[in-house]
Amino acid sequence: MSGLASWWRRMGGLFRKGRTDREINDEMEQHLERLTERYCAEGMSPEEARNAARREFGGLEQMKEAARGERILMWPAEFLQDIRYGMRTLAKNPGFTIVAVAALALGIGANTAIFSVVNSVLLRPLPFKEPNQLVMVWDEQTHLGFPKDTPTPANFLDWQRQNSVFAGMAAMAQRSYNLTGNGEPERLDGRRVSANLFDLLGIQPQLGRNFRPEEDTPGTHVVILSRGLWERRFAADPRIIGRAISLNGESYIVVGVMPAALELPRMMSDWREQLWVPLAFSLTEAAARSSHYLEVIARMKPGVTLQQAQTEMSTIAARLAQQYPADNTRVGAAVTPLREEFVGEIRPALLILLGAVAFVLLIACANVANLLLARAAVRQKEIALRLALGATRSRLVRQFLTESLLLAAAGCAVGLFLALLGLDVLKKSIPATIALAQGIAIDGKVLGFTAFVGLFTGLVFGLAPVAQASRFNLNENLKEGARGASVGARGNRLRSLLVIGEVAVSFLLLIGAGLLINSFIHLRNLDPGFNPDHVLTAKVELSAIKYPTKEKRSAFFQEVVRRVQTRPGVQSVGVGNNLPLTYDGDSFAIGVEGRPDPPFDQRPDVVLRVVGPGYFNTMQIPLVKGRDFTDADRDEAAPVVVISEKAAAHYWPSQDPIGKRLKPGSAAENTPWRTVIGVVKDVRQNDFIKQPKPQMYWSYHQVRDFPANALVIRTQVAPLSLAASVRNVIWSVDKDQPVSEIRTMSDIVSQAVARQRFSMLLLGLFAGLALLLAAVGIYGVMSYSVVQRTREIGIRMALGAQKRDVLGMTLRHGLQLVAIGVVIGIAGAVGLTRLMASLLFGVSATDPGTFAAITIILAVVALLASYIPAMRSMKVDPVIALRYQ
Amino acid sequence: MAKEKSDLLYGTLDMLILRALQHDPRHGLAIADRIHQISQDALRVEQGSLYPALYRLEAQGWIKAEWGLSDNNRKARFYRLTAKGRKQLAAELEHWARIAAGINRVLAHA
Repeated sequence: MSGLASWWRRMGGLFRKGRTDREINDEMEQHLERLTERYCAEGMSPEEARNAARREFGGLEQMKEAARGERILMWPAEFLQDIRYGMRTLAKNPGFTIVAVAALALGIGANTAIFSVVNSVLLRPLPFKEPNQLVMVWDEQTHLGFPKDTPTPANFLDWQRQNSVFAGMAAMAQRSYNLTGNGEPERLDGRRVSANLFDLLGIQPQLGRNFRPEEDTPGTHVVILSRGLWERRFAADPRIIGRAISLNGESYIVVGVMPAALELPRMMSDWREQLWVPLAFSLTEAAARSSHYLEVIARMKPGVTLQQAQTEMSTIAARLAQQYPADNTRVGAAVTPLREEFVGEIRPALLILLGAVAFVLLIACANVANLLLARAAVRQKEIALRLALGATRSRLVRQFLTESLLLAAAGCAVGLFLALLGLDVLKKSIPATIALAQGIAIDGKVLGFTAFVGLFTGLVFGLAPVAQASRFNLNENLKEGARGASVGARGNRLRSLLVIGEVAVSFLLLIGAGLLINSFIHLRNLDPGFNPDHVLTAKVELSAIKYPTKEKRSAFFQEVVRRVQTRPGVQSVGVGNNLPLTYDGDSFAIGVEGRPDPPFDQRPDVVLRVVGPGYFNTMQIPLVKGRDFTDADRDEAAPVVVISEKAAAHYWPSQDPIGKRLKPGSAAENTPWRTVIGVVKDVRQNDFIKQPKPQMYWSYHQVRDFPANALVIRTQVAPLSLAASVRNVIWSVDKDQPVSEIRTMSDIVSQAVARQRFSMLLLGLFAGLALLLAAVGIYGVMSYSVVQRTREIGIRMALGAQKRDVLGMTLRHGLQLVAIGVVIGIAGAVGLTRLMASLLFGVSATDPGTFAAITIILAVVALLASYIPAMRSMKVDPVIALRYQ
Repeated sequence: MAKEKSDLLYGTLDMLILRALQHDPRHGLAIADRIHQISQDALRVEQGSLYPALYRLEAQGWIKAEWGLSDNNRKARFYRLTAKGRKQLAAELEHWARIAAGINRVLAHA
């Protein structure tokens, strides 16, 4: 009979189960009766006859079970029975159930939470139309340290005209706006964008319309608001469309409001734009081929591959380089997928975290398997009884698996709840530098993942007791005193293996966390070149309409500095633009007096910062040589410059730079020379991790094009306690002047390492969890083995063993397991930590110090975990122990 | 199970049951009795194997069960051979004869 037909027949049997069961019962009862009668006829008493018949007949229930097994597919019906039975068993052992469910819930919860982050950041399609066709295009100047440099307007316009691979190209440029009238003045992040940008991305405003092509010309003043700004500043008034608002002192007509979820790629991580205006290049701007500040998004035509787009853009860039050698020599073009822009930097960290939580789950599984094994040993009597009462082995296996799956299901439910809680915390603590994090939620895909993980774990840890149950020997277990010695030995081996595995895996996680913590310490110990402690900063962006000249700006800032200086708690005040670690800022090649300009591509960029007198002093940037700026340095015809040590070493390696002269661009340019008056220490201006580039500082009194926009205040009291007073001082000078981003310099520094801190904290948390679970596992196994060996210990003590020997013996056993686990862990770690090299800073992936420290930590924890049971073994009273069995 | 040591050569029970049913329908106990009796007390069918075997044979379609009345007027489930069962019995008998002859030859000449 074929398998299918047999299955079909049994399915039929399932629906006839009531009748069939009854029939089997009836038939066997009849049989028994007839046997009884026969023995009666032979002269036995009715009772004897009945017993004899039963003896001959054998296990009635078992036979029914076997007979039934031949007839019908019992699974669904038995499954329900198993579930009921399982629930009863679990409810009867609340201690076991709670510990098992808690371990699973922690593992599953961590997996669910991290997977939902991975899901929304890495897996979900970008929230744009046909996102796979979207790319970003960059000026490529790898030789200057800019593999992806922001393109220049002239290059962008040439690309737009000459390419045949893109269905459309759009550019964006950051600009901030002072919004005045209608409440407190406010500075807003915004962006100028090509009129076609939103259509290119496939985004429709929720109110009003997108920009029209003819609005992409200078002089049209239209604006699209973000939903947040519209709700906050304009009370979500739908009649805002067509009304005028005042930005930077000029009037703009509102034409649209964007939906809430809009997130565009941004080169500055803390740029939170709230409005958009058309890009509208002026003629001069459109011709600029050396100012890199655009971000360019393009949509590939259907069927065009990334490779084809890259090839064509390289060809165009090579042509432009020939055409405009002065600006475009060695400037290529780089095409990158838009997704890269959003997730490129965070991907390795997220994947490592995902691996870490998978490890945590494995350890949780091992723990639960351990518990189940220990319990299976306790349940030997029950198992023996059920076998004797007619349960088949496969039935017992199914029963065990059902119980495991019940545990897994409970773990899933509680884990999901933990994940919901955890996600709340995670969303609040996730650094702003991780894009797309707003969309993190538990959706269908996450639920599916959790269910799969639950099922998988249920099967994994459920297999351990099943493996044992199927080897169970009924006879030996029914014999008094044998106490399942064989099962015990096998079970102990399995349990030891599980502990070794747990130790090895938690060692891996601890190493990973240790390396990240070590990296982070290295990061925080980096000298930023200034002292961020007790420094308050504020952004003060002056309107170009109200303050058109540098004289007006200088007057404003000088007055503000003078008034802030007198406030109690203030030690010193400085003016600057682009605070360290907030913005890449501007950089130039420079020409040096008396030297021919080297070829264009061999001149390093020098980073420019514009500051006022007292800035170095307030930031505590040490002056190495020469003097600081003073308010007297305001003659535009004889400008001065302070340079960094690195700039000094590069341009005047063996000379005193003081008194030397330089100018931006090249020596040949027709601009005044700037005289070097001082040298300061290098500051990590752009990137906290990379070595600082050469830097120069100009006095804000002498600069027309780069207005100062920030105040730095060194305080004697807690910096933020002065926030309100600083704001009021500024408003006392100009009541319409927006003040934004009042924060401490320490905050800015910690923001710069937020992503590293985030990965470190999470991995640390998971490693801690792993250590805890492993400790519980070791503790459980040691306790169980002490209980099991009570008689052995009793005999040893009766024969004269000292308590010390017993303690040593037990401890040795625990430490042996841990030692093996650690050795395996080290081997694994040497192989695996290489994967996280990109996340490390200042430590190697196989840093011996970290490895040693983690080994010690793990050994101490393991020692503690086995010490408590070992102490218990010492208290064994030989007399009681020997009577025990 | 330790208790179940069979006096029967493994795999021969099905054939013996079919043979016991060859001429008359019988109920379970009668089948066991019949085998016991014909073998002159040499073979004993444990009930523990009998009923599973009966259900198995029924499922194969070789025997068919019906409720009827036994000799002392009690309700009992009677099994009778089907046409398919007869063919199966013939096949098994022939198979057995071949094996037995082979075994006998070995025992006689080894």
